[in-house]
Amino acid sequence: MKKLTYTLFVAFWAVVLTVAGLYAMDHKEAAKSNGDELPAYTWEEIAKHDSLDSCWKVIDGKVYDFTDYIPDHPTPPSVMERWCGKESSEAMRTKGYGRDHSPAAWAMIDDYLVGTVAKD
Amino acid sequence: MIRARTARLLVWLLALVPVLLLLLGFGASDLASPAAALNALGRLTGVAGLALLLLAAALSARVPGFDQPFGGLTKLWHTHHLLGAWSLVLLLLHPVLLAMAAGAHGIDVAFATLFPPLSDIATWSGWVALILMMVFLAPSFHFFGRPDYERWKFIHRLAGPAVILALVHTFYFSRTMPGWADVAVWSAFAALAVGAVTWRFVFSRRIGRLNYRVKAVNEPANNVVELVLEPKKRLLNYQAGNFVYMAPFDRKLDDGYGEEHPYTLSSSPDEDTLRMAVKDLGDASRAIQGIRVGSKVTVEGPYGRFFKSPDQIQTPELWVAGGIGITPFLARMRHLTGRGEKADAHLIFCVQDEARALFLDELQSLADALPGCHLHMHYFYQEGPVSQEYLETACPDLTEREIYICGPTPLNHLIQRHARAAGVPLSRIHTEEFELL
Repeated sequence: MKKLTYTLFVAFWAVVLTVAGLYAMDHKEAAKSNGDELPAYTWEEIAKHDSLDSCWKVIDGKVYDFTDYIPDHPTPPSVMERWCGKESSEAMRTKGYGRDHSPAAWAMIDDYLVGTVAKD
Repeated sequence: MIRARTARLLVWLLALVPVLLLLLGFGASDLASPAAALNALGRLTGVAGLALLLLAAALSARVPGFDQPFGGLTKLWHTHHLLGAWSLVLLLLHPVLLAMAAGAHGIDVAFATLFPPLSDIATWSGWVALILMMVFLAPSFHFFGRPDYERWKFIHRLAGPAVILALVHTFYFSRTMPGWADVAVWSAFAALAVGAVTWRFVFSRRIGRLNYRVKAVNEPANNVVELVLEPKKRLLNYQAGNFVYMAPFDRKLDDGYGEEHPYTLSSSPDEDTLRMAVKDLGDASRAIQGIRVGSKVTVEGPYGRFFKSPDQIQTPELWVAGGIGITPFLARMRHLTGRGEKADAHLIFCVQDEARALFLDELQSLADALPGCHLHMHYFYQEGPVSQEYLETACPDLTEREIYICGPTPLNHLIQRHARAAGVPLSRIHTEEFELL
């Protein structure tokens, strides 16, 4: 048991330092899309996608189509459905009880970006 | 009384409750991709690790009597060690697995999972708790060599803040389990752990410790003293073979003032004084060799569950003692003699040489006074380690006997091996370990 815990203790710091090291070396500006080349949608159009069959959400001025993701989300679908077709930045930041989504979740939403909100 | 194995099993089953509740909340999405599976495993290790940590804390309280179902305090602490060790293993894996899962979205996401902004109280309280765990468990697992007892004990107190920060971490994240279960289960576990620690540091000092006065100090060998203690008020209730935590309060002591250490009682429970033999093994026990008659000590206990029937010998017994490990047997022999009992028992007393044969004269006269009792002296410098032949010659019917072993770990393991080889079932071998670390 002493050997096992010691081995893991060393392995733990090896992994943590590896992640930190890779991050330090790979600290290039992420070439994230800001959505400018994507279509702009009006709130009227966005509001039509308000169900589990087609669920669009607006987070920080960008439009995301989460229809395919909802079955994978950790909560029951009804939790995400409430925000379909709506402004959801607050929901993303608080999950409804004051706790932000993880960095991993924020990174994942880029895969579902479909456009921006049209300026009036 | 429930069997020690059952009691230990119940503790481990209790640790499974939060794990099962977490698994109930799992769905297909938790296995949808390697990253999702790693994330699920990361949460699982976190929940299981915290459950084990809180149970380890709950078992650390040392409430007198509470150790009985577990087969004595040393066995209870063995469970405490295992719970703590597995908790550390799981909690070291927990952030690593979550970071690996996040790594599927890039190294920057993995990095941000491990090192989020400082405002992320939940993650950082988890980090501090884990680092505290590494610090207070490092001496227990001898990461950086063997610590001395008092320093180990001092560092181990960091377990308190670590447990509290781990609870902050999990309550902040919440939703580790479905709905009500989260708050209910963690609150119950937290109450057990906090209750135990409160007993240890608040109540045990007030009501757990009995006041005694040193009445006499005898010297059975040149680095061993036997203290005779008389109660100031209440007398400790105990059984032959039990041990206590004793703290000396003699200002003239070179070391160990007010420090508590475990000592086996060598007196019979029928006597109106307590006796305990203390061997010079470390700074505090060396200082006790010079404790003054009339000074105050406190005694907390009793602990341990060594003899199955302390007051009489029901099944024939074989006792094997090494050095200062003679004390529980001395207590038993004094007790049985005092009660006029018979004793179908062989005592094999292993010491280095004649100079270290403590209590020899008294042991011989006790053995003579107890019908059926035989004393065999084994001198290491003459005969080397106890051999299987020696054991079977001294005690030809050892397979018929309950075997009790108390002494240094190598002797303990050696006798157990011989007894097993001779065909004694494990359930008939009883040991008392001195090394608590």
